[in-house]
Amino acid sequence: MSIIVLRTATILYALAAVLYVAYFARPRHARLATAGFSALAAAFVVHAVAIGAGCSEFGGKEFFTVRGGMILAVWLAAGAYLVLHKLYRLPSVGAFVVPLALVALIPTALTDPSHPDVPAELVRNAAFHVTAAVLAVALFGIAFGVALMYLLQEREVKGKRFGALFSRLPSLGTLDRLNQRLVRAGFVAFTLALLAGTLNAAAFWKSYWSWDPQQVSSLAIWALYATMVQLRHRGWHGRRYAVLTVVGFVVLAGAMGAVQSFPGATRHTGDYGMRAAAPTEVLP
Amino acid sequence: MSERELFLVGLSHHSAPIEVRERVALSGDALKAALQELVRAEAASEALVVSTCNRVEVLVHAASDAAARAFFTERAADARAHLYAKRGVDAVRHFFRVAASLDSMVVGEQQILGQVKEAYGVACAAGTAGAFLSRLCNHAFATAKRVRTETEIGRGITSLSQVAVELVEKIFGDLAGRAILLAGAGKMGALSAKALAGLGADRLLVANRSPERGLALAAQVHGAFRAWEELPRLLVEADVILVSTGADRHVITKEMVQAAMKARRDRSMCLIDLSVPRNVDPACAEVMDVYAYDVDDLEKVVAGTREARQEEATRAERLVEADVLAFVQERRARAALPVLGKLRRQAEQLARAEAERTLAQLGGLDERGRRSVEAMAQAIVNKLLHAPTARLKKAAACGDAELPAAAAQLFGIEPDAPDAAPAPAAGEPERRAGPDDASRAGSPDAARLSS
Repeated sequence: MSIIVLRTATILYALAAVLYVAYFARPRHARLATAGFSALAAAFVVHAVAIGAGCSEFGGKEFFTVRGGMILAVWLAAGAYLVLHKLYRLPSVGAFVVPLALVALIPTALTDPSHPDVPAELVRNAAFHVTAAVLAVALFGIAFGVALMYLLQEREVKGKRFGALFSRLPSLGTLDRLNQRLVRAGFVAFTLALLAGTLNAAAFWKSYWSWDPQQVSSLAIWALYATMVQLRHRGWHGRRYAVLTVVGFVVLAGAMGAVQSFPGATRHTGDYGMRAAAPTEVLP
Repeated sequence: MSERELFLVGLSHHSAPIEVRERVALSGDALKAALQELVRAEAASEALVVSTCNRVEVLVHAASDAAARAFFTERAADARAHLYAKRGVDAVRHFFRVAASLDSMVVGEQQILGQVKEAYGVACAAGTAGAFLSRLCNHAFATAKRVRTETEIGRGITSLSQVAVELVEKIFGDLAGRAILLAGAGKMGALSAKALAGLGADRLLVANRSPERGLALAAQVHGAFRAWEELPRLLVEADVILVSTGADRHVITKEMVQAAMKARRDRSMCLIDLSVPRNVDPACAEVMDVYAYDVDDLEKVVAGTREARQEEATRAERLVEADVLAFVQERRARAALPVLGKLRRQAEQLARAEAERTLAQLGGLDERGRRSVEAMAQAIVNKLLHAPTARLKKAAACGDAELPAAAAQLFGIEPDAPDAAPAPAAGEPERRAGPDDASRAGSPDAARLSS
C-alpha cells in the first residue's frame, strides 16, 4: 500500500524536476518555476502520506534500513528546499536540488519495502537519532548541490563567460551564504544525532562507545564538518569552501556506502545487537 | 474642403549635432505653449512634440507642415539644414519606429516609449491632441509593446557601467555591508560608481593622486576621500575596486592583491579596470577569489548585445510595417465614412418624409399602425443600403478612393463637404479658410490620411 503512494510521490517529484529544469532552460517563463514549486509541494505532501502509511504498515522499522533512510532523507530535503524557497526565492537552485532528490528516490520506489526485525522499543527510542541523522544528510546533500552550483558559476565569472549559465545561476555571494547556512544547520542536526545515538547505544548496547565502524566513521565525518564550520568562522569562504563542501559530502556518502557494504561489520545492520546477524542494509 | 494629413518634422541624433538639438529641446510649460502655438494658425488641427535628449520631433495633423517647420526655424536658424520632414504613411511609419525604439541611438532601449507617452500626455493636457493623434499614439504604443514582447530587442546590457553592475551583482549578490573603492578620477569610474549605488553598498571610498580632484569627485559621488598612499590598505577595506586613472602603468599589481587577500582572509574582491592603458595587472585574476575585468571584457558584453539586437531589429521592422499598414488602412476605411453617413442620412430623411406623407393620407391610424408604417420605411432603407455600405467600407480599406467618389456622384452627395459641420447660419462668418489652401490641392492621394 505505502509503496503505491511512494511511487505516486516519485512521479510528482519527476514532474517538479522537469518543470524546474525547464525553468532553468527558459527563465523568461516564470510560471514554470511556480508550477515546479506546486508540484514539489504536492510531492512532499504525498510523500508524507507514504511515510505515514509505511509507519502504520511496518511500525517504523522500515526506516532502519538504507532504503528507508533514503526515503526519509529525500522527504526532509524536499521540505528543507520548500522552506529555503520561501526564505530566499531561488528557483534556479530547484533545478539542481530536485533532480538530485529524484535520483536518490527512484531506487527506493523500484524496490519493495523491507524491514529488519527491530524491537518496537528501540524504534521508539532511536526515532530521534534516526530523524536527526537523516536530516543532517539531507541538508549536507542540498549544500552539496549548492556548492556544485557555486563552482559552476565561479568558473563562468572568473573565466569571463557571460552566457546562459552566468545569467541563470544565482550570484556567488548568495550561493556562498546559502551553503554556509546549510552546512551549519546540517552540523547541528548531525551533532544532535550523534548525541542521541550515543545515548541509545548506552541503553541498548550497554556502552557509549564500542568501536563500531559506523560510530567511528560518523565521528570522523562529524570532525570533518566541525572543521568546516570552524574554518568558516575564521573567514574561509568562496571557492575553497565550496570545494570543501563537495568533498565533505562525497566522503560522507563514501563512508556510508563502505560501512554498509561489509555485512556484519557494524551492528547498525539489521539486528542492532539484539539478535544474530540478519544482513539487511541499514542507515547510520 | 480641407484635407488634413499627418506631417512630421524633426531632427535627431542621426541628423543634427547636440548643439542644435539642445537649442530646440523643450519641456514643461514652454512645451505646452509651443504646442498651442502650433495649432493656432489652423482650426481643428492637432499637434504633438516629442522632445528628448536625442531628438525633437513635431507631429502635426494639419493642412501643411508650415507651423511645424516654423517651430524649428524660430528657435534655431541653422536647424533648417538638419531637419527631416515626412508626411502621410512615411510620417506614421517614422513615429511607430521611434516609439518602438528602432530609431534610437541604442536600438531597443526602453526609455523612449515612456518619453513618447509623456509627450502625448503633455499634448493632451495642452488640448492639442485630438481624435487623430490619439488614435495614432494608441496604435504606436500598442505596436511598441508588441515589439518589446514578441521580439528580444530589449534584452541584454547596453552600457559599460551596466555591465559592471551586473558583474558585481553576480559576484556579491548585493553590497550590503561592503565598500566600493573608486581609484582615480576618470569619467567611467564615476559613472560606474553611480550605477553601483543601487546595489546598496555601505561606503564609497575615493582615492586619487591629486587631493583636489579627489575631494571634488568624492563630493560629487557622495563618497569619502582617502589619500592615494593608502591604496594597499584600501584594497583590504573595499570589496569592489573601480580603477580609472590616467596612469600609463599598472597601479595595482598581483603582489599588492595577494597581500590584500591574505589580510582580507580571502573575502572575494572584484577589480574593474576602466582605464586604457590598463592600470590593473591582468595577472591579478590568477589569485583565488579575485575577479578582475578590464574595459575589453565589459565591451565584449555590450557588443554581444548590440549584435543580438541588430538581428532582432529586422524582425521588429517587419512587425512595425505590418502595424503601419493596418493603421493606414483603418484610416482609409474611415475616409469613406463621410460618404456613408451622408448617404444614410439622406435616405433616412427621405424615408421619414415619405412615411409622414403616407400617414397623413391614411389618417386616423392608431399608435401601433403608425409605428408599423415608420418601421417599414426604416427597414427598406436598411436593406437597400446594406450592400452598398459593406462594399464602400471594403473598397476604402483597400485604398480604393474611386468607389466612394462614384457612390457620392451616383447618389448625388457632395463628397468633400465636411460631414459634421453644420451649415453656416445666416449672419455667421464663413468657416475661415486655411492660409495655404492652394498647397492642399497638390498633395498626393496615396499619402493622404484624412480624418
